[in-house]
Amino acid sequence: MSARVHKLINQPENILSDMLDGFCAAYGDIARLTDEGLVIRTTPKDPGKVALVIGCGSGHEPAMIGWVGPGLFDVNIAGEIFTAPGPERILQGIKAADRGAGVLVCVSHHAGDLLNAEMALELCELEGLSNVDMVLLYDDISSAPKGREPERRGTAGLFFVWKMLGAFCEGDNDLAAAKALAEKVRDSTRSLAMSLSSCASPVTGQVMFEMPEDEMEIGMGLHGEMGMGRQKALGARETIDLMLPPILEDLPFQAGDEVLVLLNNSGSMTLMELFILYKRVAEKLADAGISVYKSWIGPYATTQEMAGFALSLCRVDDQLKALWDAPANGAYMKQL
Amino acid sequence: MSEIGSDNLKAMLRAIAGRIADSRDQLNRLDAALGDGDHGASISAAFAKAVAEVADLPDPQPSEIWLTTAQSLMNGMGGASGALFGTLFLKGVAAIRGKERLVKADLNQLWAASLAGVKARGKAEIGDKTMVDALEPAVLAFAANDDAADAWQAAAEAARNGAESTRALIARQGRAKYLGERGIGHQDPGATTIALMFEALDSYWREMTNGKT
Repeated sequence: MSARVHKLINQPENILSDMLDGFCAAYGDIARLTDEGLVIRTTPKDPGKVALVIGCGSGHEPAMIGWVGPGLFDVNIAGEIFTAPGPERILQGIKAADRGAGVLVCVSHHAGDLLNAEMALELCELEGLSNVDMVLLYDDISSAPKGREPERRGTAGLFFVWKMLGAFCEGDNDLAAAKALAEKVRDSTRSLAMSLSSCASPVTGQVMFEMPEDEMEIGMGLHGEMGMGRQKALGARETIDLMLPPILEDLPFQAGDEVLVLLNNSGSMTLMELFILYKRVAEKLADAGISVYKSWIGPYATTQEMAGFALSLCRVDDQLKALWDAPANGAYMKQL
Repeated sequence: MSEIGSDNLKAMLRAIAGRIADSRDQLNRLDAALGDGDHGASISAAFAKAVAEVADLPDPQPSEIWLTTAQSLMNGMGGASGALFGTLFLKGVAAIRGKERLVKADLNQLWAASLAGVKARGKAEIGDKTMVDALEPAVLAFAANDDAADAWQAAAEAARNGAESTRALIARQGRAKYLGERGIGHQDPGATTIALMFEALDSYWREMTNGKT
């Protein structure tokens, strides 16, 4: 654990504020930074619509600051690196986002995100803010077996929830309907990630775990949490042949289904590799009789400079396809 | 220790913060094996901030000291650690509210409330490889000794043994659970922090007692 990575930062304790200042300076037409350090839509949505809030650790950019904007989140409460924000800050985010029709707090399932969101909702109760709810979201099949889905982690596949829920909350829907929609997308989504490398914590500069050059980990979490286990590194085709079947079996995705596909870059995988991987994904899905409605390939939720990817599938119906195609304008998530 | 006042509580908090600051790198190393390697950095900064915020309170009651510490840890640290260490202090507040001087029985109640709060918040039990593995034996040992000096010493020993016992365990809560058997052999950093806390409190009371005699 002695290897260090040099990152171009200033003081480690200023990583978060320096990053948010830079982000909002660059994309001020979309998102701005409040005095409380919240990333909030520059142009708020119309009153009378359900607001969406997410608190999460940083270090996963462009998630989630890049997902604040029309058709997406109203407020992101960015915590320190890989550290969920505390309850007071989440409460501030809820208040800032509220447009009079309720606030849904999205939780990508990790212990810190869940505990702090629960405490924030208790603070809401104490303050008499009644129209606030939270939804627990997860997608990573490696983190708990089938039948114990609520124990699973939230990873890159929540991409689908953010986009469709964001679109849904631009419409005239109530808080309960928004929560139900989030759960519907969650329950249609499955993900599995892998990595060929470790990455370094920007706070300590230390590499987070050892990864021999010729090995890979299947089931890597968004913070370098371990998954199903180590094995010899394979080629692109063999890697997809290993990862896709358990994803398909888990939901299960079946012949005749229509899906969205995300190949999320964990950090330093090349687009070249991702296109080569996607070629095999497309072949295998065609073989299984599953049609692809749309695909996305790129770095949407990263783990610093980790060389890996997550494969996520979301089964869609007409409602979800319409929500997918609805406009969105976050700094790093755009749908025309 | 016949009675504890606000000055003692402030000094106890400073003792905890000092011990954790001294152990910053050790806690980072433990967390590197099971987590993301920054537990020492984040918790030492959070306790330092709590000490500073408590120092700014004008003439605080004991419960205000604990409440400010809880809020400082929760909101300054964030993450699961912030929620759980914050809860540890927060749940103790009700046990000492309205009291200017605390006796041993008050501290028994304070720690019992803290333990119950942490277990409920984290849904963790003994054996899950979490801070509960150190906190529960420490709280029980403290309550089992009527003499305060014995109680602090017994609590520190129980917490240290509890923290060491986490080496052999497979985590069932927190991010280390994804390591499964690969986490065996590594001591839980949260449990270690609890042990450091109780060791610091034991040292503080030993010095106080020796100073008086």
